[in-house]
Amino acid sequence: MASETGTQERDASSRGTMAVDVARRTTSTRRKAAVYSLLGAVTVLVVWQLVSGFQRTAFDLLPGPAQVADRMWGFIVGDPSRGVASGTVFINFWETLRKTLIGFAAAVVFGVPIGILMGRYRYAKNFFFDLVYLAANVPLIVYAILGLLLFGLGDAGPAFVVALLVLPVISLNVAAGVEGVDRNLLTMSRAYGRPSRAALRDIVAPSFSPFLFAAARASFAASWKLAALAETFGGTTGIGVQIRKAFQGFSVADMMAWMMFFVIFVVLIERVALMRLERWVFRYRLKRGEDVLRY
Amino acid sequence: MGRSVTEQAPAAGAISIGSGARRRNPIVRFLVADRTARWSSRILLVVVWQLAGALSPRFPTPVETFSFIVDEFNRPFGDGAWSVWNNELVRNLFISIQRAVSAFCIVVMIGVPIGYAMGRWWRIQAYFTDIVMVGIALPAYIWALLGVMWFGFGFRAPVFCAVVSATPGLIVQVLQGSLAIPRELRDMSGAYGVPFRWQVRHLILPSMAGALIAGFRLAINAAWGCVVLVEWFGNNEGAGFRARYWYDVNNYNGLMGWGVIVLCVVITVDRGVVERIDHAVHRWRGRITSFGGTRTSVG
Repeated sequence: MASETGTQERDASSRGTMAVDVARRTTSTRRKAAVYSLLGAVTVLVVWQLVSGFQRTAFDLLPGPAQVADRMWGFIVGDPSRGVASGTVFINFWETLRKTLIGFAAAVVFGVPIGILMGRYRYAKNFFFDLVYLAANVPLIVYAILGLLLFGLGDAGPAFVVALLVLPVISLNVAAGVEGVDRNLLTMSRAYGRPSRAALRDIVAPSFSPFLFAAARASFAASWKLAALAETFGGTTGIGVQIRKAFQGFSVADMMAWMMFFVIFVVLIERVALMRLERWVFRYRLKRGEDVLRY
Repeated sequence: MGRSVTEQAPAAGAISIGSGARRRNPIVRFLVADRTARWSSRILLVVVWQLAGALSPRFPTPVETFSFIVDEFNRPFGDGAWSVWNNELVRNLFISIQRAVSAFCIVVMIGVPIGYAMGRWWRIQAYFTDIVMVGIALPAYIWALLGVMWFGFGFRAPVFCAVVSATPGLIVQVLQGSLAIPRELRDMSGAYGVPFRWQVRHLILPSMAGALIAGFRLAINAAWGCVVLVEWFGNNEGAGFRARYWYDVNNYNGLMGWGVIVLCVVITVDRGVVERIDHAVHRWRGRITSFGGTRTSVG
């Protein structure tokens, strides 16, 4: 399948454009898809512009794209007339990102062992199942309330709830990966007297690491949103606080500017950073022509 | 497929310890039984909750939380007289659920056709790719704040926000299900003029069922969470409003109580409705665990 690269345009175009492996698609199809994609973005902008012109409806308070872009620019380079320091965006995003990363790291540290146990032992699976299930189904607002109650104002609350949110996703995915381990390989490695640490590293880890990445990619956006929400509730720094300020000042334009930054940031991290990392980690699989990336 | 044989014979070294212990004495057997494992984790959870409540000045204990919920049930709603339906607990919950259900219906009506079309025609997929990606990246709570500013109190803000924040996730799931429809069968049924209704019944629904249910589950959770969020930020009734009300008067039992109620609704719907549908749809697959893999390994 992979050897037919670039020959069958119809095949390439009809297979999922975002389900990916862009290299397989021919240039012309890619260009066509980009045109349609651009068309979609333009439609949204036009509709936005039109709706923001409606008077005397709920959208009377909707600023147009130009105004929002202006506010965004102000948050980047500074806007003395409204008392915004330059680089406000970067400072606040870094604050939120820091908390998210701390939570994420904690979730990986605790989630991977739990996942391995869940995939390996029936007892552990039964023990952790309800806890993981519960943690996976808690609505974000309940997490935010929990963080506020447990830690009050400050940095600890957001990081803690991010860890709680990400942990079940990671454990479940790692467990699924471990369950898919080739048992014959394990038996063989035991028969040849390999230490179990080596088996863990060479057999178990490669089989769950794609799942781990899938979990990280799947939960990054949610964890980032939760960090901001928890900041809105009980934070002292970060974009959540900025958004709270915009809400309290009843400034729709400011809020939409932050919303756009949010999107840009999430897309940048997901599409550029995580995808690069994933491609790099799984380069051996890419060479074999397997699809690694998912939407 | 004869896999049940492997389950009864745990000799293959790499199988779990749980099955190996079945031959041991009754106390050990009791200690490692599935049910013991499940209940010990549940009890542990309550103990940790109790400890957190005892240690933290704000965090309520399980008993306080539960007694608050009972109190809330005994308070009449508004100025009316108390009845089983007319109390703060049931009425506010009912209002929120009503909003979430209407939002969910709209989400399904928008999300399923778009997701299916994206999997079917690549032009539509390319058209919506960026829109959906941006929609997923947008946080529900910014929508909630904007919705409160635009629509104010009432029915419209929660439903609007739930729709805009739950639809993209459903679209992605439906798209993946739609991509899983075997192309050959679809082309063939097109060539032989199979009516669309039959295609839906015998080809499209069976291959999309898993993804559809996963998408519905996501959409239900997202819609419910978003409705509560909007009510928290600005509304005069509903579960989120009630939580906010108690938070504003510094009653943390009330805050925790409503948090638990909101969570209970999610779990009841998930376990009681969605999971049952899932099982009914996937009966034919036989023994499949909740992890999505067959329980017995290829030994």
